[in-house]
Amino acid sequence: MTWISNLFSRYWRNFHFIFILLLTVILVFNNAAVNGFVSQVAVSAFNYPFFIVKNFFDGLVEVSEKNESLQAALVEASVRLSMLEEARLENNRLRAVLGFEPPPGYSLVPAKVISVAGDKIPVSAVINRGSRDSIFIDQAIINQAGLIGRVVSVSHDFATVQLLTDPTNRVAARVGESREMGIVKYNISEGMVLDNFPIQGTINRGDVILSSGLGGVYPSGLKVGTVNTVEYPEEEPFCNVTLTPAVNFNSIEELFILQLRPL
Amino acid sequence: MRFIPYFLYLLLIGMHQIIWRDMTSIYGATVNLAALIVLGVSLYKSEVIASWFGFAAGIVLAAGFPNVLGWHALALAALGLAAYHVKERLNLESLYTKLLLMFVGILLHNILVLIIQTDRYFYQLWLDALSGAIYTTVIAMIFFLFKEGVITAKKIKSIF
Repeated sequence: MTWISNLFSRYWRNFHFIFILLLTVILVFNNAAVNGFVSQVAVSAFNYPFFIVKNFFDGLVEVSEKNESLQAALVEASVRLSMLEEARLENNRLRAVLGFEPPPGYSLVPAKVISVAGDKIPVSAVINRGSRDSIFIDQAIINQAGLIGRVVSVSHDFATVQLLTDPTNRVAARVGESREMGIVKYNISEGMVLDNFPIQGTINRGDVILSSGLGGVYPSGLKVGTVNTVEYPEEEPFCNVTLTPAVNFNSIEELFILQLRPL
Repeated sequence: MRFIPYFLYLLLIGMHQIIWRDMTSIYGATVNLAALIVLGVSLYKSEVIASWFGFAAGIVLAAGFPNVLGWHALALAALGLAAYHVKERLNLESLYTKLLLMFVGILLHNILVLIIQTDRYFYQLWLDALSGAIYTTVIAMIFFLFKEGVITAKKIKSIF
């Protein structure tokens, strides 16, 4: 046995190389069972744990990408939803004005408000109708609630409307019940008022104020507002009458231009 | 205990094959970490260790391909043994000669891999082999610069 030990210690290097060569020859011969087993062991020990790690991180990346695309889809859907909601509200408003009849002798030209201007309250608005739609200055503007104002300037595609809330705008008006007359105007401190209404006239809270048709700009019978308060100051010839406007000037969107029907 | 570092090297090769190889690929050129580690072992360890480690690294490298398992094991074992003898005969001590040995060894291994796995166009793979060898040598250079103390953590800190 000693000689074997001596042989091994002297040529131990060569034994290693012969053994490695033997193993590689076995593997090179490509025995399916041996190679399959060695491959399986190597994969299980040195590859599989990293497959799990890689799959985990790949999954995270995939989830992250999916999350990003879903977020984009969500934003798109919410924008679409908001547009649909806007269309629904517009539909409701248009349904409300569907049966709206103009005063006799007039026809209605529908228009949309493009922009409004004013410091504390809107006093003028630009609409999407102009001279090509046969719009001209001093045509009255209304909606289903009542009188809004009049056209003050016209270009080819647009027109500017002076609203009743403009302090320089005046409307000749009368009380719906008593038919007594006054002038409707707007000032910032009191809001809409009925001016020049005589103290001996008959007017009560809740009375409807209509345009009188005098002055030639506004046709008669258009609702301007309702009486809110009436004060009778001593030694004054006129009452102090405040009105609640028929139209909410902060929310005008669709409106109509009154056009005289050709005879 | 003495086998633990080699086992960790094999795990590193496995991890590189599965996770890092594609992530660190530059225009098709990949780091041949198996050849790099085998050459590194042959530069600092004995020929027996280099041969056995080369054999094991070849098996890990071709773990998923049982039909070429033997060829890969033979290629890396032979590379380890040859690198050890080149180092011993030429008495390579300088950084540049080690890098040259690395480059030639890795290029040879890449070409051997091409010959073993002839499932792609040879000219394309030749380009990959050369660029891969250069890429791996750059990694080896960084490794040697750290190992020889040319670059240290202290020096890097002093830059900032």
